[in-house]
Amino acid sequence: MIKVGIPRALLYYQYYPMWKTFFEELGVEVVVSPLTNQNILSAGSSRVIADTCLPVKVFCGHVLSLVGKCDFIFIPVIRSVKRKIYNCAKFLGLPDMTRAVIPESPPILDIEIDINKGKRYLYQTIYRLGQHFTWNPLKVRRASLAAWQAHLNYRWLMSRYSLTPPQAIERMLGTPELPSEMPQDQSAPAQATIALIGHPYIVYDEYINHRLIHRLMQAHNKVLTPEMLTQEQLESAIIRIVGRAHWTYEEEVVGAGGHYLENRTNGVIGLMTFGCGPDSLMMDVVRRRAGKLGATPFMNLTLEEHTAEAGVVTRLEAFLDMILRKKRRQVEVCV
Amino acid sequence: MRIAMPHMGNLYIPFKALFQRLNVDFVVPPINNQRTLSLGVKHSPEGLCIPFKLTLGNLIEAAGLGADTLLMPIGFGICRLGYYAKIQEQILHDLGYNIKMVTMGVSERKLLGFLHLIKYLSNNASWPKIISAFRFGLAKLNALDRIERVVQKVRPIERIKGAANKLFARAVEAIDQADSHGTLKKVQRDSLTRLDQVVKDTQTRPLIVGITGEFYVLLEPFSNLDVERELGKLGVEVRRTTFISEWTKFSLFLNPLGMNEKDRIHKAALPYLKRDVGGDGWESVGEKVLHANEYDGLIHLAPFTCMPEIVAENIMLKTKETIPVLTILCDEQLAKPGMLTRLEAFVDLLWHRRRKRSNDQFQHKGHS
Repeated sequence: MIKVGIPRALLYYQYYPMWKTFFEELGVEVVVSPLTNQNILSAGSSRVIADTCLPVKVFCGHVLSLVGKCDFIFIPVIRSVKRKIYNCAKFLGLPDMTRAVIPESPPILDIEIDINKGKRYLYQTIYRLGQHFTWNPLKVRRASLAAWQAHLNYRWLMSRYSLTPPQAIERMLGTPELPSEMPQDQSAPAQATIALIGHPYIVYDEYINHRLIHRLMQAHNKVLTPEMLTQEQLESAIIRIVGRAHWTYEEEVVGAGGHYLENRTNGVIGLMTFGCGPDSLMMDVVRRRAGKLGATPFMNLTLEEHTAEAGVVTRLEAFLDMILRKKRRQVEVCV
Repeated sequence: MRIAMPHMGNLYIPFKALFQRLNVDFVVPPINNQRTLSLGVKHSPEGLCIPFKLTLGNLIEAAGLGADTLLMPIGFGICRLGYYAKIQEQILHDLGYNIKMVTMGVSERKLLGFLHLIKYLSNNASWPKIISAFRFGLAKLNALDRIERVVQKVRPIERIKGAANKLFARAVEAIDQADSHGTLKKVQRDSLTRLDQVVKDTQTRPLIVGITGEFYVLLEPFSNLDVERELGKLGVEVRRTTFISEWTKFSLFLNPLGMNEKDRIHKAALPYLKRDVGGDGWESVGEKVLHANEYDGLIHLAPFTCMPEIVAENIMLKTKETIPVLTILCDEQLAKPGMLTRLEAFVDLLWHRRRKRSNDQFQHKGHS
């Protein structure tokens, strides 16, 4: 059986159920790289130049960990999924860059998704991808429809039950996704509701963000993430703040940030990595918005390879203390 | 309405000519200097690139001079530039300037869009007037670039160092002063003959170094610490394919007709990079491949944290075509002595490489 490798990085958290369904419908086995760990990160960063951003370094590490375990590696180029809204340059150059820095990698399946070029181009692209495994266009069509259904299910699960992507993938596919057991004890009332905004590949990669969600839950906080909002909520928040979206994944940052800042969360944490081009602007938009509203505390955590766990923990504790103090003071005033 | 726009090289000269002919109040903020940079850095988000910081500095200084309509280029599908105007407008408002940001779509609104924008800015001037002003601006732009090309050739071989730079500075000023097509032509002719008369050392064959990379840092000498002049001082001839006049010619006139000057460069990059990654990443890879045999070395300029150029740099390191590449990341921390040391080392390496190559060739001939 042909094996296709999918690196557990970057777009994995957004599209994995879709990709997996597509390939399995075509009779292909899907291999996923392990959770990010020290080896993956250092192997990845040793291949690329130093100023490459952390998520791409992690991505290269994941590709390296798949070398020898599969026949193809699937790295799509998502240029645009909405009209005239484009993606970051690093996503566009990803397959070519991987080919250049990891010459030993298995053949790369790179397809370009660009909605601006019309439906016909999209169908051709999908067929071209399917052609690696079958000549039958009907089979590709069936697989892609099933994949799309899986994707809709996945999105629905997350917004309906307030699940994070790893939890939703776990529920859909039954494969364990989480490295650490999440604190399940929800009997105690939540101390505060904290919203985490940022790209899924930072928010849900526990190695990069030093188990931030885990820590927040351990301190009895309710954690909200961008995926728990509906498309309409995200889009309306973007329109209120910047007008027209410019980046493909602007919703995760500006949309979710704007929504949570306005909607009675106790605090918003923006997660970004150093050197992220779009985030350097988008987080600033959210930060300015938070300052203008002046109601919800906002903290911006910038992560990179050298970010020490202790530093993140200290900032997190200080932030939570501040929120609790604020809550207590409000109670006193009411009394 | 007082209009201003950020600097990029000598771009202010054609725009000034254009707006003056239309009797629009056009303010030129101070040429980029340390204060511009400090202002920009102070008010920018930290992770942004030098073009954003410098242009923000320009806009703040322009607003301080009373400009109320700021012209800012944007574009979709090309790196962060598309987002600049939104943030800069917010920053300027937060600083208390009551300004209006007018965006100039550089990638999608071709010639007509640009002319319509001018019509709007000039308070509905008549079309013949706009077209005549536009042509005059374009003539200045072309004259500037034509002279600069010659200056690049003269710099490395002039006997008295600095002669070409002095002539160039004088020419820039004369072009800025010129008020008709006639004087402009005369200035251009005079400057070219003077450059021709500069005493040159015709014996040595100077090193040829290509300069490629991101558009803004290539064309704004302040952001790259005058790398071209420094190379000229070291006796290196600089080749640069990016000129604003070329860019204007193609993006405004020829691209809509289906001609693309970059097709050749893109084709060269294809084995390594199959698609546009925004900004000038594709071109950087292509230029390395295309000119590997033609140039002695290549200098790759990129702003720190520039997304397309990082992709390009990763790929450029791994191409089959080998040519020494020196990547210089430009940001507010770049200091002249550091850069000069790197340039000197690079030039030494190139001389060594050339000597070795010619020796090898010589020996080859001797054996056969």
